[in-house]
Amino acid sequence: MSDLELTVAAKDTDRPKLTLGRRLWSAVLPVALAVLLLGFATVDHGVLSPANLLNIAQQTSYLALFAMAQTVVILTRGFDLALGPTVSMVSVGTALAMASATASGHGPAAVLLAGLAAGFALGIACGLFNGVVVALLGVNPFVATLGSYNIAIGIATTLSSGRPVQGVPAPFSQIFYSGSIFGVPAAIAITLAVGVGLHLLLARTVFGRSLYLIGTNPRAAAVAGLPVKRILVTTYVLCSGLAALGAIMMTARTGSGEPNLGGALSLQAIAGAVVGGTSLAGGRGGVGTAVLGALFITILSNGMNLTRIDGYVQMVVLGAIVIIGVLLDRLRQERSA
Amino acid sequence: MNTALVVAAPRRSVSLRSIAGRIGLLPALLVLLVAGMSAIDAQFYGLINVLNILRNASLLAIVACGQALVIIAGGFDLSVGALVALASVVTAKTMAVTAAAFPGSNGLIIASGVAAGLGCGVVVGLVNGFCVARLKVSGFVVTLGTMSATTGVGLMITNGIPVYGMPEIFVKGFGRARALGLPTAAHVALIVILVMVFAQRRTLFGRYVYAIGGNVDAAVVSGVTIQRHIVGTYVVSSVLAALTGILLTAQVGSGQASFGGDRMMLQSIAAAVIGGVSLRGGVGRIEIVAVSALFLTILGNALNLLHVDSRLQPVFLGIIMVAAVALDELSRRSKPRV
Repeated sequence: MSDLELTVAAKDTDRPKLTLGRRLWSAVLPVALAVLLLGFATVDHGVLSPANLLNIAQQTSYLALFAMAQTVVILTRGFDLALGPTVSMVSVGTALAMASATASGHGPAAVLLAGLAAGFALGIACGLFNGVVVALLGVNPFVATLGSYNIAIGIATTLSSGRPVQGVPAPFSQIFYSGSIFGVPAAIAITLAVGVGLHLLLARTVFGRSLYLIGTNPRAAAVAGLPVKRILVTTYVLCSGLAALGAIMMTARTGSGEPNLGGALSLQAIAGAVVGGTSLAGGRGGVGTAVLGALFITILSNGMNLTRIDGYVQMVVLGAIVIIGVLLDRLRQERSA
Repeated sequence: MNTALVVAAPRRSVSLRSIAGRIGLLPALLVLLVAGMSAIDAQFYGLINVLNILRNASLLAIVACGQALVIIAGGFDLSVGALVALASVVTAKTMAVTAAAFPGSNGLIIASGVAAGLGCGVVVGLVNGFCVARLKVSGFVVTLGTMSATTGVGLMITNGIPVYGMPEIFVKGFGRARALGLPTAAHVALIVILVMVFAQRRTLFGRYVYAIGGNVDAAVVSGVTIQRHIVGTYVVSSVLAALTGILLTAQVGSGQASFGGDRMMLQSIAAAVIGGVSLRGGVGRIEIVAVSALFLTILGNALNLLHVDSRLQPVFLGIIMVAAVALDELSRRSKPRV
């Protein structure tokens, strides 16, 4: 199979000509988004109201962050099934650290720091585990992250005894959820900042470019003298670190540490990245595709909610959309090849 | 790799294989686990517990066999867990409806229910296979999509409420019955495993699945009709998942959309992978996957009997999975690469 992937991936790297056809194809998703919004708006005028648009933006910012995290590893032909449980684990860990810091009488600043430190430490530890198992032990990313998926779920439920962890201080929720920067709600502002930073990292730095090379042709990357293993470990740490940030934002939103917070997030984040046009064969995608995919899925489910489509039907629609999105993307690839 | 390494490597790998080869390691671990548990806790080899283990292991083994076949062909089936739920719900619902229309004719009721359940498997398998083989969408994404859709349909049919109304004889005379001392599920699992082992070893389909998973290009050049066989693997996997759903329904006595789920899906992949099926495709044997399903079930049972917090149990499962594959990978590395 890997040989086949290699040849397919190699074809992608041929610089595509910017024909009219290709331009049209690359606009499929944004156009579909606009059609979707307008379609929902004809059924329910509330869809296009400023309040709902802000709501969509806010909801998207979480999924976009997780899709970006997933994109970083997918670029290198990996993925992170453990992202959801990592989110749960970080949420529980952050809340527990803050609760115990508050209980031992520390000031608000120390409490915040303790929470952030615990959260990011757990996230980075999970990323290190994934990275070391994938890069150094050579275990398939699916199995490696399925393993840490189970481990993280176990840790999250054990730490919390399966119950929500109370004691998240108000300033924490203020900073990461209800507050705003220049009038932009915190979640949107943070995701924007991370998105810009990640885009620069992927597009402008040697590290970023090497991710694309590793995804397109790992052998070429190794021959070219890239420290592939070290880069892969860093990639998984970056992914889990971003997941930890998202978990902190979600914990601020719910106001408690939730052992079930991650739930279906792993697969949702993969779906977001892939629908946006990130290739599971590696080497193709970026911040733009992640945000676009997350926006698409959020608008779809928001619209279906507002037009009162049954939650179970929504699952069927989402499943179909994921397959169709990837199918369209493959056709687009074939055209450009 | 320099020549000295290449020359030295085979000898080391031979000794590694002879001591803890892939075929020998898992049964050895299994025996160790069983012996250890029997020494610690007499409850472990009590009849009730053994039957319990056999029932659960049978269900997992059936799903894992199908999963293994798909993985050997180079694919993935994330939809099996959701399909267990859908088949359960559809079987129960069909039986209830048929029973209302033709009260008393148990043969017809059961036949229609089982046919409808297995039919779900065929349909989902065909959709998966068609998307993967014909439309060339990655198996991971396709089955991720059908997983969501299948779960949705199952919940739509039931609204999350268990479905009752199956004939007594289906539950008491089949699902909860024992023949020759073994639960019916164990008999079904044995038949499935034997048929699958035979198919893998002795039929063209089985050999082609290895060929496709091992090297698609070579298989194409050798004239293997790739698409049909890939569709075949997905249909087999889905039908086996549906069969598990039906067995579970007969055991519990109601159709539930909460059966199977992510847990069953992940466990089936874990069983296949720990059973030596390579995610790169082309490698793996059904009988070892079945042993691995038994091992995982006994492990879970042992952790329960030892009063290990059920919340901590996934941690063990995760570590064992990663360790099994890492060992496999390291032993592969010590062999020369062709």
